[in-house]
Amino acid sequence: MIQEVYTLTIRELKKWLSRRGTFVVSLITPLFWLGLFGKSLNFAQMFAPTNIPPQYSSLISKYVDQQLLNLFGTTSYFTYLASGMLVVFGFFQSVFGGTNLVFEKRLGYLNRLLMTPTPRSGIFLSKVFGTLIRILFYETVLILIAWGLGIKFKPGLTVVNILLAGIAIIFVAIGFVSIFAAIAFNVDNVEIMFAIVNLINLPLMFASSALFPLKQMPSWLQEVAKFNPITYAADIVRYNLVGTPISNYLLSWIILIVISITLFVIGMLVSINAMEKA
Amino acid sequence: MKQMETAIEVKDLTKKYGNFVAVDHINFTINKGEIFSLLGPNGAGKTTTIGMLSTIKRPTEGDAYILGYSIVKQKYYVRKIIGVSPQDLTADDELSGYENVLIMAKLFGYKGKEAEDRSEWALKFMDLWDSAFRRVREYSGGMRRRLEIAMSIVHNPSVIFLDEPTVGLDVQSRRHIWELVRELKKNGTTVLLTTHYMEEAEALSDRVAIIDHGKIIAIGTPDELKAKIKGDRIYILVKENDQLNEIINKINDIIPNSAIKIDNQILVKTESSSELLPQLIKILSGYDVVELKVVKPNLEEVFLELTGRELREEEGGFDRFKYMRVTRGARR
Ligand SMILES: Nc1ncnc2c1ncn2[C@@H]1O[C@H](COP(=O)(O)OP(=O)(O)OP(=O)(O)O)[C@@H](O)[C@H]1O
Ligand SMILES: [Mg+2]
Repeated sequence: MIQEVYTLTIRELKKWLSRRGTFVVSLITPLFWLGLFGKSLNFAQMFAPTNIPPQYSSLISKYVDQQLLNLFGTTSYFTYLASGMLVVFGFFQSVFGGTNLVFEKRLGYLNRLLMTPTPRSGIFLSKVFGTLIRILFYETVLILIAWGLGIKFKPGLTVVNILLAGIAIIFVAIGFVSIFAAIAFNVDNVEIMFAIVNLINLPLMFASSALFPLKQMPSWLQEVAKFNPITYAADIVRYNLVGTPISNYLLSWIILIVISITLFVIGMLVSINAMEKA
Repeated sequence: MKQMETAIEVKDLTKKYGNFVAVDHINFTINKGEIFSLLGPNGAGKTTTIGMLSTIKRPTEGDAYILGYSIVKQKYYVRKIIGVSPQDLTADDELSGYENVLIMAKLFGYKGKEAEDRSEWALKFMDLWDSAFRRVREYSGGMRRRLEIAMSIVHNPSVIFLDEPTVGLDVQSRRHIWELVRELKKNGTTVLLTTHYMEEAEALSDRVAIIDHGKIIAIGTPDELKAKIKGDRIYILVKENDQLNEIINKINDIIPNSAIKIDNQILVKTESSSELLPQLIKILSGYDVVELKVVKPNLEEVFLELTGRELREEEGGFDRFKYMRVTRGARR
């Protein structure tokens, strides 16, 4: 079992490394968001009227900062967005990691695997591991880029903080790669698969604290966001990297882990069932 | 004659898709070391049969035993002893041939050096060692087919399934693969292959089962099957189709019930073409004959005799994705 999972995970990574283009393309979306959206949404400047005597302008900017601090837990929306994007990016990559299987199925490779004695769970797990390793790599690159673009890390940031943020993202990814692998095992049509991805992706991203604070949302959306592991991961990442206060740190972890493991177990069972069914 | 041992025993194997019966209670036995062909047109149920035997499709009814292991109840053991080269290409074209084969070796439990040695052996066996480290994307159609077989023999399976191993290849590549399949047999491997090329079934097989619409309609050695049709067949194609019946009547006046119409041709069945030909030529001298063809008994004729249809007349639905897979191979 270990040998099979290892072999198939290495295959995933080899394919990934041999596709030089994908690497760049995969980073474009988050860069786009960070660079254009995050950087240009400068609330402090937006709210500062231009024809105001200089002595007041510092007062106003202080006021705006205070408002931003209340709203986002940091005075820079870029910092808020960048930390959220780390989670969203991990989420997207995990979705694509699972979706990938539709192609593998279409191209006959999955059939080839199913004819070997490889445990069905191993086929599923190699998908999960392959995706997680890719995500860890991309997240490292992304965090460096965010740093370059001026994300305001909390004072006294430690390696442990960064690792904890990474682990939170990994948990989100485990949950979603499992669920999307399970869906992919049951869908044959590429178009239908992407329709499902689109249907789920954007709402999940917006119904979370990744891009905007829950406080700013209509109450029904807040309720939805409370079941969204992205919310908890984003809160934990922000707490660790930016220092944004969190209402109950331990509880956030517990909820995140419970949701992720649940999705993982469901995803694995459904996937194995689909492989055995035929 | 020495006692034959059974490698594959198929019992009432059936697969239904909804109400459609793709494979209908088929029965056959394959001996150890035999090359056995399933010959049939598109949609006959060959791939469905291979799918069930290789444990990835669950039979609706019936069972089959590979070296005694049930394909329904002992899937894991079956998977360990079979090698499958599916109709659709499966190799990962972003990796090299060697990487593809090595992955298979490892999935079958070989480790480190042994896995590498096995892979090298399989690639050399299939005459692919020279291109082993090139990306599969750069392989020709024939090479890709051979790679599929290399991937399925790396673990030295006792039984190997080849689903249309030469489909879409030119004569030379096809012959090359035939040679290699014969080599496999020499090594003691039992081979079940499917094909809709009658030359292939005839050239390779010890025994052939002709399958049509999910049913096996004849089974035996190529010679036994050909013995089912006595004598030769003469095909006549004339320019004016409305003259067909007239000619048929004239021929049947000489030998009753020998000539019939098939598609737009006349088919004449005769014990001996050399005796009939002079008379035929006399009859045909008044007509504009486009083609006159004498055919010795072959499996194509056997199929025609049994079903009234030509082996290759119906082409299945055109799946563009599948077409891509078969011709160019997996590509993202
Ligand atoms: N998943 C499926 N759902 C419904 N019908 C199917 C399915 N798979 C195969 N069939 C049908 O079952 C029949 C047998 O198909 P199969 O692929 O076994 O034929 P084949 O003999 O391998 O043909 P070919 O020479 O074209 O490969 C066909 O009529 C096909 O349309
Ligand atoms: Mg087929």
